Amino acid sequence: MNPGFSFGSYVSGTSCVHRLDPRTKLIAGCVFIAVLLCAKTAAALVVCAAFTALCYALAQIPPSKAARSLAPLMAIVVIVAVLNLFVTQGGQVLVNWGILRISEAGVQTCLFMGARLTIMMLGMSLITLTTMTIDLTEAFEWVLKPFARFGVPAHELGMIMGIALRFMPQFANELAVVYHAQVSRGARLSNSPARGVRMLTSLMVPLFTSVFRHAETLSAAMDARCYHGGEGRTHLHPLRFAPHDGAAVAFMAVLAGCVAAIGYLL
Amino acid sequence: MIDVQNVRFTYDGANFALDGVSLHVRKGEFLCILGGNGSGKSTLAKHLNALLIPDEGTVKVQDMPTADADCTYRIRETVGMVFQNPDDQLVASLVEDDVAFGPENLGVPTDELRERVTKALEDVGLSGFERHETHALSGGQKQRVAIAGVLAMNPAVLVLDEASAMLDPRGRAGLMRVCHELHERGMTIVMITHYMEEAAQADRVVVMEHGHVALEGTPDEVLVQARALAHLNLDVPFAARLSLDLRDAGMAVQPTVDAGKLAREVLTLGEAGGVCTAASASAAPLDAVDTDVDFPTCEGDADAPALIEFQDVSFTYDAAEAKRQRKRKQAPAARQAKWGNSPDSLWAVRGVSLQVRRGEFLGVAGHTGSGKSTLIQHMNGILKPTSGRVLIDGTDIASKGAESKVRGSIGVVFQYPEHQLFAETVYKDVAFGPRNLGLSGEEVDALVRSSLERVGLSFDELAEKSPFELSGGQQRRVAFAGVLAMDPQVLVLDEPAAGLDPASKRSFLEMISRLHDQGLTVVMVSHCMDDLAAMCDRVAVMNEGRLLGVGAPERLFLHAHKLKEVGLGTTEPQAFAETLRAGGWPLEQEKLYTEKDLAGMIADACGANSSGNDVASPSPAGSEGQVVE
Repeated sequence: MNPGFSFGSYVSGTSCVHRLDPRTKLIAGCVFIAVLLCAKTAAALVVCAAFTALCYALAQIPPSKAARSLAPLMAIVVIVAVLNLFVTQGGQVLVNWGILRISEAGVQTCLFMGARLTIMMLGMSLITLTTMTIDLTEAFEWVLKPFARFGVPAHELGMIMGIALRFMPQFANELAVVYHAQVSRGARLSNSPARGVRMLTSLMVPLFTSVFRHAETLSAAMDARCYHGGEGRTHLHPLRFAPHDGAAVAFMAVLAGCVAAIGYLL
Repeated sequence: MIDVQNVRFTYDGANFALDGVSLHVRKGEFLCILGGNGSGKSTLAKHLNALLIPDEGTVKVQDMPTADADCTYRIRETVGMVFQNPDDQLVASLVEDDVAFGPENLGVPTDELRERVTKALEDVGLSGFERHETHALSGGQKQRVAIAGVLAMNPAVLVLDEASAMLDPRGRAGLMRVCHELHERGMTIVMITHYMEEAAQADRVVVMEHGHVALEGTPDEVLVQARALAHLNLDVPFAARLSLDLRDAGMAVQPTVDAGKLAREVLTLGEAGGVCTAASASAAPLDAVDTDVDFPTCEGDADAPALIEFQDVSFTYDAAEAKRQRKRKQAPAARQAKWGNSPDSLWAVRGVSLQVRRGEFLGVAGHTGSGKSTLIQHMNGILKPTSGRVLIDGTDIASKGAESKVRGSIGVVFQYPEHQLFAETVYKDVAFGPRNLGLSGEEVDALVRSSLERVGLSFDELAEKSPFELSGGQQRRVAFAGVLAMDPQVLVLDEPAAGLDPASKRSFLEMISRLHDQGLTVVMVSHCMDDLAAMCDRVAVMNEGRLLGVGAPERLFLHAHKLKEVGLGTTEPQAFAETLRAGGWPLEQEKLYTEKDLAGMIADACGANSSGNDVASPSPAGSEGQVVE
């Protein structure tokens, strides 16, 4: 029925950023966060911002799409920034309301943290905007693989994430149907808390029974198709590093170098 | 190919789901296993690819015993299996990843994987769907992806475990087409079903009952044993019923399950009896046959008061896009899916004007995606029209405060309503609605009691039971009672009989008719034209979001030709009558034939030596459950 559900914010395309190996993007994302955390000055942030803008241009993602994917994350940015505004003290006091004081240093940190987090979110959004979630799970599985010898079930975790993603839209649909059905029977979230709880159980119990029902057949279906763990499995899309993955690594190195140089020089 | 010897199997150690089954599946055959619910047919299916191991007896696949754990994966590679629920068996988000899942597990190298995926999708008619997301496909398409996933493992046998049970007629037809194509290319197919129409197309039919093989033979041998089959809780195909009725009336027709064959036989007899001539046959080719009665496109008379009124209602799930398009004043060229409705079509419902009159039984027909479900969700204000108005008893449902009033008076039962049960007892679940209306304890009590009785369940027996302990049919009745407990004036039903076996379906539809007789206004969505014709006062036909026509079934279903254009059929007896007419049989133009009419008419016309007694008692459609030998 309602087709309006999509998980993640993938924008299809064929740019060089889209074509990067998901593992490269995942690792580059981690490096990017590290670099940002090391950037202590406004100048370093400007470099990072320019770098992010360049990446968006390369990925051919229009600013409107970027802004839309960023919008839900801005709440976190605002909360952190406002906290910093009041917590950090130093320099001239600008406003004084009883226990609440805003000082010059507070304003500075607030702006700095806000900018840094925004850039960080933009960088992360770029990954989800240009990578299909299914590819990300495979990258995630690969990253975890070295830990398999310590007992981390890398393949299983990847499989679980993949199946969870596959069933997400389905459960969203089923939840919508159950919601409509219960609303038709006069259920409402507002009014008394007791009614609200009753409404929630009337939604959650059918959802969970449906999860179990699906799980039972799914496991039989996977069995019937010879699933027996990660051993000896091949892949339709094996992950392969290509030359442009090397270019991306070099690109990240340049960024890290720039930020380090700025930190050193200033 | 597969050899089943004296297999017994029990889930709980007490009752044997399979009790001594022997079966031999030959290479290259199309075998159909029929059976009612609980006959053990699905349990048998799971034995064929070692998902279950027999407690006694043996199952051998190409001489590999399923009990041997070393052979398990080789057996599962040989015998591919497709399950009932299309949503449960797809593993990956993308079509190609899902198809590749099986061979990936087998360790097939990447280059060959790609070849296999392309080939398998081609075989099921879904080339070009590689990068589509599985959840956005229709039920029929999902089932075909599931088949492709099995085909990619290069199996020798394909087992379909009620794979068509949850599909609409179009999805079912597509699935059957794929099965036939595969069979022609040498695939052995084992199909488990309770649809006789599907069994009629098989090479061989095995009927299961209580864990035994009850009947076995070619479709013509097995399916015409109407009385035995009715006894086993299975439907007899229309052609088989009619041919038996005609034989009872003393006519020399072969019992058959093929309507075309029966029509030819009847026509030959008719010619011999001078009823019709071959000359007139050529004058009226089949597709030109249409009646002179106008296709009822709008309702003229307004003598009965309208309870629900749609005034030029349009609805889209993507209001923003609709606005943009209106600005551009042009619709983008819609991409058309190969089968089924285009997922890109913007308007779910477009320009619908329709009245539901007090006390009537209105049927809604149409394909999946034709806007039926969207339409009925407007009836109690779950969806609000993007443009146009919906009036309930004269009140616009978009107006403030109308919602709560409407919710009480219009009860909507969604598809598979048993999936919405949640409370720990039947009583609490049914009481959910009236409690939400804020009624007092006694009132709630009385409503729960009466509504459980109205759906044919015993209050004293079930009220304190958990709804999850009940059988599927009972669960659906409880969910029904939950809606009835709101004491609605109108009952809106979305495919109320979907997924039920023939006996439960029949008693369920009888219950709905009874509720209507008690004074409820009923709106019912259904795929089954025969049900609609038998039950409804008027039928509305939806096609691609528009209202194609609305009118009494006696008029509407005469338009076999027009209905066929939008991919819908007419009733089975009427379709048969059309075939006879096309063959030159003189038939009344403005009459909707029922099975009884047809049998009587044909027998009379041929002057068979009917004793009158026999003609009067042919089993009418839908009541062979009562036929006693």
